[in-house]
Amino acid sequence: MKIRSYLSLLLVLLGTTIGFAQTQLSGIVTGADGVPIPGASVLVQGTNNGTTTDFDGNFTVSVETNQSIEISYVGYVNQLIQFTGQDNINVVLQEDLNELDEIVVTGYGTRKRSQLTGAVAKIGGGEVAAVQTARVDDALAGKLSGVLIQNQDGSPGAAPKIQIRAASSISGASNPLVVVDGYPISGGIQSVNPNDIQSIEVLKDAASAAIYGSRGANGVILITTKKGTSGKAKFSYNAYTSTSSKYRENILQSGPEWAATARAEIAAGNWTSTVATKDAAFLEYRLSAYENSPGAISPEDWLFQNGQSQSHDFSMSGGNEDVKYFASVGYQDIEGVVITQGYERLNFRMNVDAKLNDKLSAGINANGFSSTRDILGHDMRDLLRAYGVHPIYHTAESISFVQQLDAQAQSLGLTPFDRGYRGSGYEANSIYALEPGMAAQDWHYGRANNGIGGSGDAGPAAKLDNVESWEKSYFANLNGYLQYEIIEGLNVKSVLGGDIRDSQVYSHRLLGYDSRARNSQTFMRQTDLKVSTILSETTLNFTKVIGNHDIAAVAGVEVQSTKFNGTALRGVNVPDEAILNFNLFDPSDISVTERKETRVRESVFGRVNYAYNDRYLASVSLRRDGDSRFGANNRYETFPALSVGWNIHNEAFLENNETLSQLKLRFSTGSLGTTSFLGSYNSLSLLSPSATIYGTGYLIPSNSPNPDLTWQTNTETNFGIDLGFSNNRLTLGVDYYTSDIQDILINQAQSEVLGNPSSVLNVGDVTSSGIEFELGALLVNNDDLTWNMNANLSTVNTEITDLGGLEELPQQIFGQSGRGAVFRNYVGGEIGEMWGLETIGEVEMEYLADGSRHPNSMTGESYVIDQNGDGKIDRTKSVEDGGDLVKIGQNTPDFYWGMSHNLSYDNFDMSLQFQGSHGADVYNIDPLYYGSQWGGRLDNARIDPNGDRIADHNGEYLERNRNQTDAMIQDASFIALRNLTIGYTFESSLTNSLGLNSVRAYIAGSNLLYIMGDNYTSYNPEGVKGTDPTIYGAQVGASPVVRSFTLGLNVNF
Amino acid sequence: MKYIKIVLGSLFFITACSTDLDQAPSNFASADSLTDFGGVLNAAYYYQLGSVTPLAVMAEFRADNALMQEAPYTEFDEFTNNLTTMEDQFFGPLYTAMYKSILSANNVIENSTDATEVAEAKFLRALSYFKLVKSFGAVTVNLSAAPSLTDTSILQRQNADQVYSSVIIPDLNDAVAVLSTTIVDGRASKYAAQALLGKVYAAMGDYSNAETQLAAVVNGAAGAGISLKSNFNEIFGAANESGNSEIIYATRISSSIVDEYSFGSDFWNWFVGDDSKSDLPVDPDLVAAFDASDANGGGTDLRRTVTLSNDGLKATKFPKEGGLGSEHDWIEIRLADVILLYAEALNENGTAADTVLALLDPIRTRAGLTSLRGTVSSRADVKQAIADERRLELAFEGHRWFDLVRTGTVDAEMGQTVNSNYHVFPIPISEVLATGGVITQNDGY
Repeated sequence: MKIRSYLSLLLVLLGTTIGFAQTQLSGIVTGADGVPIPGASVLVQGTNNGTTTDFDGNFTVSVETNQSIEISYVGYVNQLIQFTGQDNINVVLQEDLNELDEIVVTGYGTRKRSQLTGAVAKIGGGEVAAVQTARVDDALAGKLSGVLIQNQDGSPGAAPKIQIRAASSISGASNPLVVVDGYPISGGIQSVNPNDIQSIEVLKDAASAAIYGSRGANGVILITTKKGTSGKAKFSYNAYTSTSSKYRENILQSGPEWAATARAEIAAGNWTSTVATKDAAFLEYRLSAYENSPGAISPEDWLFQNGQSQSHDFSMSGGNEDVKYFASVGYQDIEGVVITQGYERLNFRMNVDAKLNDKLSAGINANGFSSTRDILGHDMRDLLRAYGVHPIYHTAESISFVQQLDAQAQSLGLTPFDRGYRGSGYEANSIYALEPGMAAQDWHYGRANNGIGGSGDAGPAAKLDNVESWEKSYFANLNGYLQYEIIEGLNVKSVLGGDIRDSQVYSHRLLGYDSRARNSQTFMRQTDLKVSTILSETTLNFTKVIGNHDIAAVAGVEVQSTKFNGTALRGVNVPDEAILNFNLFDPSDISVTERKETRVRESVFGRVNYAYNDRYLASVSLRRDGDSRFGANNRYETFPALSVGWNIHNEAFLENNETLSQLKLRFSTGSLGTTSFLGSYNSLSLLSPSATIYGTGYLIPSNSPNPDLTWQTNTETNFGIDLGFSNNRLTLGVDYYTSDIQDILINQAQSEVLGNPSSVLNVGDVTSSGIEFELGALLVNNDDLTWNMNANLSTVNTEITDLGGLEELPQQIFGQSGRGAVFRNYVGGEIGEMWGLETIGEVEMEYLADGSRHPNSMTGESYVIDQNGDGKIDRTKSVEDGGDLVKIGQNTPDFYWGMSHNLSYDNFDMSLQFQGSHGADVYNIDPLYYGSQWGGRLDNARIDPNGDRIADHNGEYLERNRNQTDAMIQDASFIALRNLTIGYTFESSLTNSLGLNSVRAYIAGSNLLYIMGDNYTSYNPEGVKGTDPTIYGAQVGASPVVRSFTLGLNVNF
Repeated sequence: MKYIKIVLGSLFFITACSTDLDQAPSNFASADSLTDFGGVLNAAYYYQLGSVTPLAVMAEFRADNALMQEAPYTEFDEFTNNLTTMEDQFFGPLYTAMYKSILSANNVIENSTDATEVAEAKFLRALSYFKLVKSFGAVTVNLSAAPSLTDTSILQRQNADQVYSSVIIPDLNDAVAVLSTTIVDGRASKYAAQALLGKVYAAMGDYSNAETQLAAVVNGAAGAGISLKSNFNEIFGAANESGNSEIIYATRISSSIVDEYSFGSDFWNWFVGDDSKSDLPVDPDLVAAFDASDANGGGTDLRRTVTLSNDGLKATKFPKEGGLGSEHDWIEIRLADVILLYAEALNENGTAADTVLALLDPIRTRAGLTSLRGTVSSRADVKQAIADERRLELAFEGHRWFDLVRTGTVDAEMGQTVNSNYHVFPIPISEVLATGGVITQNDGY
């Protein structure tokens, strides 16, 4: 630096002695955010006169009048300023919107976007941080084509499901590999703070991901975190606070609403059976009980709340020419919309990059977080099924009401309410011993045959007050690299790193939980698991440009070893509820499970990229992996990939065409493998020891030995075309891919006679394909207003082509206790098709034997079609096979899309993010509980006297909705305005006077608009849990879609 | 410079040196390396736990001893094909547990060198198949420790008769030959095997063989320390289960052993009305039966106060007893059961009424009732008297429904015509689906 200033001084002196009418022009160069840019080049046009800006962005250069100076810096648009006598100029450089020369991170290296031949989607860190969420994956929703992110569980801190392109294995998770700064992390994407991210690249096709070999088959997400830049230290503080609530209005009714529904039905003459068969006095007793129950609230009013959240993030970066650093600390505290849910996290990151001498550079990354997640301790669906006829805790009024209701019931000749009691005295054993403040139980209000209480279960307060569940995680990652330049263009880099993830999961359930006071139902559980990984990787990198030939190559070896160490404690019969300590348990009530596993993987890989004249592009890669999880015979596999591209817009005939500014064709093909859901020792047959009353027993091993257990291989071909119009003001990318997955690991169901309900075999072949569109447009770009739009649309289709000789995998009814769709996976069909009986209408309300028992607007039974007219309803076979099952739904959407708009006007900026999905179905089991659609309470005398399940009045077959019918299928499509943010950046003059570089305040809302399918009746159409695509699609209680309002601040100084 | 090269070189070494891809866990045993099969035998005993609650509920609620009150559990009291909804909680776990017990037993039988272990395993295997046949009728037979995973033809169901003759009876005969007469709580013994063999013959309708086996037990009981307890209330519950002289074989249950039956309720939960699906489980028909017994026996049947609660609505034979309830063992075979069955066999084989009824005297006296000798004389009447006695003596011990089916008195006792298809329970649907129909469903379901 010193040398440079001396040099400029010398030039100036020379200039003044030589030239005439030459003046010294000084100025400062900054970016649009007011931050000075050191090292920008300032060149006087037409001369050799030039300089670079110093640490603070200042420069001084000698010019003659009417000469122009050109200021340029990588990543920014060059500026040309004519000197007309100014003393001082302020140059503000704008970021370069032209993406062609953008650097894109690919596996083990980087590439210019113009030379990319694979399908890679990129998103900048600013866009990610703009979505106020603690998790990076939530922020990506809807932004990238081919990447489907689904909020399976709306609770804070819960991981969404990420799927890149098609599900790559029939059984098992489809999680992509996450690589942060070149280091594949085991912690998953949730260990990265969104504010730390510089850019995210997603490698979607096989050829791009093949360099990662076996872990890349589900796609690869590359995250680059911010690094320091040389210059003055820069600080940044980001904070926000937000309020969230559940999006949907209450869907359950409370007692008085039920009574109104019932009375209306009776008045309309729809309850003929009920009125005819039930005593009028009894009906009136019931209905007025519903109407007059004091304090009756819907359980939703108790369970859901407004959650408050806040987040703070502080970072600093800086450095000089030799050492650059970036460090950040962040804190989030999120309260859920359901009571007892919460998530708190503290994270840190430090990146240091150093140039030790002109050949050697090194760096260290350290990052980690510690988090606590409070989990709803009891199944939400079960809490909400309580009847809304009583308050959550008794009051004096409700107690006297209950006693009076009991007296009324007895005077009608019904059994007293106290008969419904089953406890042992820890709480009131009689409704006459109740006190205000005690939890209200359903049976206090009678049962279905003598009161309005319903199921006889414990009330929701008793269930929730006596359980607790939380999860604490600690994660730390440390990795370092050493890079040595052997000769120009050839360097060797060695990375060594490790990470450790320690999670502790705890839950307990105490006596009050169960109105029957069964001590054997109480428990305390704690699981501690430490996962530690060590990774060592050494690569040789070569880049060389010889004339028109641009060559880049990389070769390397990698070894990774992961150890799992954990213990799980389980104690039953909690002895003392005031002091929860495993020491106090009876030793025979405690069981301990231990987990000690090691997995090792070794790999060798290489890739060569070639570009000729920036027009003809090619890339070849090869990787060989060996993994200890597979059978001894099949440990190793080789994965090749090839991709080519043609930059037609660089050809002579299109070179200066401004309308068609980009035309690029891409083709790639490659193969990848996955380990799918395999545990560490699936190829071995291990006896699980378990305590029995006689001592240790060796229980049946959960799998038989299989030395042939091997990889699943995914071969994928991708065709792509990238178009750009009007100097790339409008860009369009279209990708079409097909993939063929072989040797799929299937949990093949088998008879229980064999000891296990299923065994894992490599059989099976699935093909999938899809089209992805990405559209980018700079709609408006003038001095005041810029408006950018990005949209993407993706389709996915899968087809099962082979099942190892079987026509079909064994059908499974999956849902809750036999209430679910029949999932069929057969050759020629999609993965996880839902089949069931076809209904042609609901059984009318007039045939309900006692409508007042659970007043709702459905009988819970429908008429079904006997498809083949054979006089029987056969729920085990499809129509083709002689039964009555038809296809009733599919769990994958026909297509999904996202659209984002970014506008900036003056000091304001606004961004909108839309996301939608269409065509997916869900088998929604919730209405059975929420709407009491259990069915089977028809007045048989009127509708089916001979009990043959055929309705006499219309000859149609009767079937309960819950028995695999399409009455439970609902539309899981949605359109959501995921995020709307409006921000204002304060005038730089104002902020500079305070010593700050920039200050931006913003308000934002998420899920402000969320349009669900017409027939969808729960809280969250995305809330389908489960990772196995063959039985995916049944919804059993979903945490609601959350709408939130946020107020935030970004300060840079 | 040199230093750098050394560092780089060693880093390269770390990455290049081969680490072992042959991993095996240090804290687990591998199936093919076992030498001592005691643990596998323990597993075979352990899996019997999964059959306790299903059989308890199936036997009592299906018959006229208890009633379900809440749908869809009321299907137990009706005789239609809708009973399949109860599969998840009852028939499925029973099926799975029995086949796991059978697999473990096969392992011991094939590989153990200890003759007693093999005999115990044969007893358990026979017991498991007997429970399966009683419940489902025709079932698959597997006698191998490692059956083929791919050949579904081995899964074909075999008729009850075939199962009896090819597996159950030979296994029990082998067990009888080897086991000793000493009774160890919860483990197989010679008389347990013989009593079971007697039951099996009775279930098959072969009363002459049944008589032989049961006679051996009844006559040899005293020598082995088996005798009737002097009071009826000294037989049941956790307080009485250890070293009880009347219990010949029981499935031992302890609250601290987590068993695979994950539905949480202990079998007695259903009987005392603790399960919300049936608050007041006792069938009035049983109360009437006790009344009739009082009338015919010249006094109050002492078994009533032990079996039923004061108001006659709940069954308290296995009482709740605060926290101890979860310790109750499930009695599979006790001496009174054997005596009653022996009397039944003798009667069927033509023995004089008074001789037969004399056997029942100790049971009657203990119940505070007069002897039945001289009250009835025809074979049919004696049969009915024994059946009634059996019902009251063994109520809520998992016998009633199977006794009705065995003696062909379902229709008479239940008071309705029950399609014989519904004498057995439905095979779990997942079995039919998983084998592509090789395992068929029972008719009528």
